[in-house]
Amino acid sequence: MNDDVSTVEPKPSFLDGKRFLLLIISAITISFILLLISLSLYSFSGAAQLDLSRPGYIDVRDKTVDSSSDFKNYPNYGAIDQAAIDEFKKLYDEQAEVIRVADAFKNDPLNPTELTAAPAFDISF
Amino acid sequence: MKVVVRLSIAFALVAIISGSLFINVNAESNNLNPQQIEQVRSNCVSIKNTINQLHVSDALLRVNMGQRYELVSTKLMERFNVRLTSNGLKIDNLISVSEKYKVNLNKFRDDYKIYEESLSSAIRIDCQSQPSELYDVLMIVRDNRQRVYEDVKQLVGQIDQYRAEVDNFETSFRTARGQL
Repeated sequence: MNDDVSTVEPKPSFLDGKRFLLLIISAITISFILLLISLSLYSFSGAAQLDLSRPGYIDVRDKTVDSSSDFKNYPNYGAIDQAAIDEFKKLYDEQAEVIRVADAFKNDPLNPTELTAAPAFDISF
Repeated sequence: MKVVVRLSIAFALVAIISGSLFINVNAESNNLNPQQIEQVRSNCVSIKNTINQLHVSDALLRVNMGQRYELVSTKLMERFNVRLTSNGLKIDNLISVSEKYKVNLNKFRDDYKIYEESLSSAIRIDCQSQPSELYDVLMIVRDNRQRVYEDVKQLVGQIDQYRAEVDNFETSFRTARGQL
């Protein structure tokens, strides 16, 4: 009988001794991917365009108007009579007038003749 | 070692994809002549100031007016429609106009986003080294802003249309009640 017990040392795998490093890299990768997803959602959803906390908007940040405060809810329940219709018309006309008067984005500041550099653009266009 | 290489490749791919998220405006050059290019360069600071101010003021306008357009739909049109239908009244025309208004409100949001992104692209262009590109992009931005205004005009038109339908409803309501 041969009593010699030969123990074969297992070949060290690549992961041995690097598990912690891999953990860190995985954590960074996952957080980076999540960051990209959240940034793309922020960008593609249109939220970025409404975010006045971005740099560059400091001057106008306090000029936002909370329209909901001066916007009276029309009750969506109750009987319909002439008074209910009149109440709706009054509320509606107030808001419609504000929107009509504002006529947002009507002006054309990027018209070459209105831009500060108008002469440069006026020459041939 | 292969794992590290694969991770590096993954990082590179992610970085490339993230870079492509930022929209670039591809514009065809209008081939400004040397004199025009020089004029753009000499007015570079004032052009930049103008478009920067426009960027900020339009953002404020979008927030304030966008909110109001939204509230007209949610706090007035929808609620009035619900109240009338819950009373068993037939209001197909009012519902139709308010649905069109909502569709157009979404279009307004999308078009503003396109406009803002193109304006941001214009702001990033160096007008000293790329005056022609700046001009081209500014003309695209102008068209995009015009599109936003068209949406606003449509919204205002639909607000008026809804109001006219309310009058029509009122007339038929009073007729049915024998008040006319």
